[in-house]
Amino acid sequence: MKIIIAGAGAVGTHLAKLLSREKQDIYLMDESEEKLSALGNNFDLMTVVASPISIQSLKDVGASDADLFIAVTPDEATNSMACMLARSLGAKKTVARIDKYEYIEPKNQEFFKRMGIGSLIYPEHLAAKEIVSSIRMSWVRQWWEFSNGALILVGAKMREKAEILNIPLKDLGATDLPYHVVAIKRGNETIIPGGNDEIKLHDIVYFTTTRKYVPYVRKIAGKEDYPDVRTVMIMGGSRIAIRTAMYAPDYMQVKIIEQNPERCHYLTTMLSDKTMIINGDGRDLDLLKQEGLYNTDAFVALTGNSETNILACLAAKRMGVEKTVAEVENIDYISMAESLDIGTVINKKLIAASHIYQMMLDADVSNVKCLTFADADVAEFTVKEDARATKHMVKDLGLPRGATIGGMVRNGEGILVRGNTLIEAGDHVMVFCLKQTIQKIEKFFN
Amino acid sequence: MINYKAIIRVIGNLLLLETMMLLLSSGVSAFYHDDALNSLLITAGLTGTIGLLMSFFFRKSPNVFTRRDGYIMVTASWLAFAMFGMLPFYLEGHIPSITNAFFEAMSGITSTGATILDDIDSMPHGLLFWRSITQWFGGLGIIIFTIALLPFLGVSGLQMFAAEVSGPTHNKVTPRIGITARWIWTIYIGITALLFVLLILGGMGGFDSICHAFTATGTGGFSTHQESIAYYHSAYIEYVIIAFMFISGMNYSLLILFVSGRFRRALKDSELKWYTLIVVVVTLFITVMLWASQNMESEDAFRHALFQVVSLQTSTGFSTTDYMLWPSALWGMLLLVMIVGACAGSTSGGLKCIRILVLFKVLLNEFKHMLHPNAVLPIRIDKQVAPNSLLSTVMAFCLIYLIIIFGSTLFLSSIGIDFMEAMGCSVSALGNMGPAIGSYGPSSTWNSMPDAGKWLMSFLMLLGRLEIFTVILLFTPNFWKRN
Repeated sequence: MKIIIAGAGAVGTHLAKLLSREKQDIYLMDESEEKLSALGNNFDLMTVVASPISIQSLKDVGASDADLFIAVTPDEATNSMACMLARSLGAKKTVARIDKYEYIEPKNQEFFKRMGIGSLIYPEHLAAKEIVSSIRMSWVRQWWEFSNGALILVGAKMREKAEILNIPLKDLGATDLPYHVVAIKRGNETIIPGGNDEIKLHDIVYFTTTRKYVPYVRKIAGKEDYPDVRTVMIMGGSRIAIRTAMYAPDYMQVKIIEQNPERCHYLTTMLSDKTMIINGDGRDLDLLKQEGLYNTDAFVALTGNSETNILACLAAKRMGVEKTVAEVENIDYISMAESLDIGTVINKKLIAASHIYQMMLDADVSNVKCLTFADADVAEFTVKEDARATKHMVKDLGLPRGATIGGMVRNGEGILVRGNTLIEAGDHVMVFCLKQTIQKIEKFFN
Repeated sequence: MINYKAIIRVIGNLLLLETMMLLLSSGVSAFYHDDALNSLLITAGLTGTIGLLMSFFFRKSPNVFTRRDGYIMVTASWLAFAMFGMLPFYLEGHIPSITNAFFEAMSGITSTGATILDDIDSMPHGLLFWRSITQWFGGLGIIIFTIALLPFLGVSGLQMFAAEVSGPTHNKVTPRIGITARWIWTIYIGITALLFVLLILGGMGGFDSICHAFTATGTGGFSTHQESIAYYHSAYIEYVIIAFMFISGMNYSLLILFVSGRFRRALKDSELKWYTLIVVVVTLFITVMLWASQNMESEDAFRHALFQVVSLQTSTGFSTTDYMLWPSALWGMLLLVMIVGACAGSTSGGLKCIRILVLFKVLLNEFKHMLHPNAVLPIRIDKQVAPNSLLSTVMAFCLIYLIIIFGSTLFLSSIGIDFMEAMGCSVSALGNMGPAIGSYGPSSTWNSMPDAGKWLMSFLMLLGRLEIFTVILLFTPNFWKRN
């Protein structure tokens, strides 16, 4: 597959790295040679120093026979223009990164298609959605919905109160459990557990379950005394902050603390009076106390500085805030932030890249999510006629070590998979596996 | 410096317009064979000659207007209009005193509706018509009429438009000011015509209908009868007039939206919501009070309450009953409604709902600010954040409004008027209402006021009609400095 990525910013580079590992033909375009030079030498891809809105350079990189054209420069107008040009030159699919909510409203999709922009991606909105869903349920580290919520993946950190510690998984009551443990993150290591593995204190455990049994998972994870989040304090009035405040449900009171007075004024023009804008330094603990940090249920740090965000979240935790979320744009810091006990870590690049990644995958694998902190992939397969997986019950399939079936969706209904489940053709199966094993898994379902 | 030649030419043009209206009134006078024909014709001749001379001598004046020229021109135009407008009353002694004639003329063109006539019914038809048409003309504004008709003002028209139209903000609904002005006049004429037809259908005579249509849409309040609308004893006529006074109290840019079918955008307007809310709440309150204290029938109580509230809030000043006979708490309510006024950009007077709304939001924010000293608390109008300059303009306006009311009250009381009445008159004149309270209430006239008071009230009417700043600016030393 020939993929052209325009814009070697954070999202573009991450996506290029991700895709080059998949053995795709990647062309990365950017006007700045500086940004490209480091990449070209270390990754298996082609870098082109050219403007993505120049017709000649688009012709030069061969936009006419590209399977996918992804425009992720910081400027949405450039992205839209580049996509329209590439599409007119003959690119099959186009993706543009945009920065306006009204563009991604469903009623406008057809309009953009006509202009030659096949899909739109709005990283700030995706990040905001993730922040809101994580603070909505403060006990949850990660929350993903598959097939419109038929199956739900919940990640939670085990504390002393958890009921399932130190018991081999096979002894938990294998046949009728309403959840399935698909991954365990212990320190820096990710385990796809088998029946003999045990859950230990401070593990982050990823469960798959259906919506009905989420409260049950909450109970066995010992998280019942976590309060509902009603008051949220956001530090830093970034674009993600604006989207988060807009996306937050009405019962949540949101306060944004922003240092720059002009930015504060801008925020007031963007947001309604539901959100209170405070002009001040979010690192000033006295200010935070004045503004009621002790009564705040969730603290979200979204400044442009990853270190500040991590430290501010630590401080907020110490002051007794139950749930903290930090934006960490430096990928190397993620696991560190994780071990420092910051609730949820948000990385705009990873979210955007995995979103595009999943959009571009062909029909057989319609959905691969990058589990950001666990070093695992989630792949969604539609089972084909006569695939190997339909021949035997799951326990007899001989799935490779390091892979587990998290659940499946049959006729729109989420079903948890057990040892004696028989998979049928047409089922959507969610497989959790470590990076190396995904190709091996594919064979079972095709 | 100030372009006097151009100003004189524009005023000359304006006087020609006035001449046309005077000729129209002469026509009415001739039709009814009344004894005002001579004075109307003499005035028309005089006004026409002077207007022609002014336009002719300065026809070559450069067509450049500065901001200052605009302010002088607006104020001077209104003064000139009133000075020539009083002549028909004065010349043949229908109103023998110059003070009274000027008061009546000023009350006419500022669409106030306060009168010194103790026996309106015996006035010649020509003069009654002249009174009404000045209110109609002045209600919407003489400059905006000029802009609509005379394109030569060009871009400078915009400044004069801003100087004359009421309200703190002027949102354009069409890109060009001339088109907007034409739209507004078309709607204005349309509303007037519709009201005229509805009044005829209600059994009001043709002459009365046209005069009342003029004074209701201009939110003026001059009637052709001493008893005002109560003369007709017709619930139909009262409800029709209520509806049209209410419509005239709305922002004309909203009316343009309504007429061009953009209902949703128009209905979202927060000032319209507050305007309606205030009318409803105050009316219900008064209805209940009347019903409880006066043993009125509920429909009667409701209709009288609604009529007085809408009439005073839109600064029209018609009356169907003497509210001085109501419990005194209700006078207070009515005085409040007079100060609040209707919507910006309408023909009405008063502070306008939008300013009250802004003030309230500022007030609420002050309390919030005490709890959250670092919070950035915007003032929103229709979900848009209002710029700080607008807030200070609004507060400055309200302050000067109160100062003028207070000062004028002091002056009136010092020349022997009862304090409450002095205050009522000041509020009424500055807000262009018409009736005040006490012996200046709806059942009496302003004739008993000493001359000094009448001159002051005439000045207040002009101030109120031009939203104070335009006139007061001319009295600031900076205005006349060369910078």
